[in-house]
Amino acid sequence: MARRRRAAAPKGRDDEVRLTAALVTFALTSMILMAVMLLAPVVKVGPSEGELAPDFSAQSYSGGTWVDFRLSDLFNKSWGPGGDGDWIVVQYIDTDCPYCWSEGELMSQLHSQWGDEVTFVTVVVELGIQGHESNREEIEAFRDKTPYDGCKTNSDCADRPGDSHPWTYVDDLNEKTTGDWEIPGTPFTALLQPDGIVAWNPLQHENDGEGIETAIQRLVGGA
Amino acid sequence: MAVDIPLIAFLSGLAIATALAVRARLREGEAGTMTMLDSGLVFSVVGLLSSGWTYAIHNSILESGDTTMCASEGLIQCGSVIGDPDWNNLFGIPWGITGLLSFSLLFFLFLSLRMDMHAKWADSFTTYSLLAGLAGVPFVVFLVFVELTQVEGAPHICPYCTIAHLSLIGFLVVAYLVRGRKQGGIWA
Repeated sequence: MARRRRAAAPKGRDDEVRLTAALVTFALTSMILMAVMLLAPVVKVGPSEGELAPDFSAQSYSGGTWVDFRLSDLFNKSWGPGGDGDWIVVQYIDTDCPYCWSEGELMSQLHSQWGDEVTFVTVVVELGIQGHESNREEIEAFRDKTPYDGCKTNSDCADRPGDSHPWTYVDDLNEKTTGDWEIPGTPFTALLQPDGIVAWNPLQHENDGEGIETAIQRLVGGA
Repeated sequence: MAVDIPLIAFLSGLAIATALAVRARLREGEAGTMTMLDSGLVFSVVGLLSSGWTYAIHNSILESGDTTMCASEGLIQCGSVIGDPDWNNLFGIPWGITGLLSFSLLFFLFLSLRMDMHAKWADSFTTYSLLAGLAGVPFVVFLVFVELTQVEGAPHICPYCTIAHLSLIGFLVVAYLVRGRKQGGIWA
């Protein structure tokens, strides 16, 4: 029986050159990346606790005209635990969502309790649900609690529970920020440290049942 | 005005790469082609380093809200460009990383050619280099448009981003000339 010998095809110089070039390229790129890490380490950005909250810029309404708003402008990067600086509540709502409508009262309570230590920001999105069409007039009326038919689909915004909200409302009707924030639905309320690090995300407290009020009490204290 | 040493270093790199390309055009045969390839390699290394630098600025701005690695005020600055949350990434990937990966590819193609310019794949690699360089042009046009019209307080010019853009354009010109040498029979 003839014995068949399987010989490996010899690699030509062509392949060796490309492999060497690839290794040199990999080494050079890796060295540059390592130098970058030493110079300025990577910052983990995301909505989970301990991560830097995803930044965004959009138009906002605080009772006057719509102006530019950038979340990171609220961050105090030199803040340390126990230091001065406002914590930040970021709330996502849809003005047509019934739960967001009801939460208007809780938010008013939270603001009256912690308004001195916590900056409130409400980001308004438009969920892709029939009857959830929204616009800036509706956002203004929802915030100010003024007459406007259309909140909670067909209710008068003036009837919203709670007081008028004296904080900033941000227009994200195009849902530009919801991907980065991984918003599963509305309402969604997170608490950020003054330096912009996410301190409390409701999705990480579904098992222990901790709500935003308890979280603010535990983390910010006072009031 | 403070002397920006990294910027001067990158500009020097671009000047060296350009000088090599000019010199290569005056030389015929293998020596000219080698010098042309060296020029492309220098362009791609400058692109790699400037991309890494912009990525470091990106991280620095995230970390501290500001950076000492580039000006953050005025027309020529990085803060409003690399620090803009809407425009500082491509599908969540910082532009610096995109630049690093892109220039790595360009560097690999030219390094392969430089190491064995008589290889059987040399012809296709000259074409790939040109196509890869061309693929970057729409991104450069888009990013310049963003700098000048879209970022907060536009127009702004990010100097290190511009170095990366010039590196790509320089590489593209060299890749075109290299391919011309190959096609025109003056390769070696």
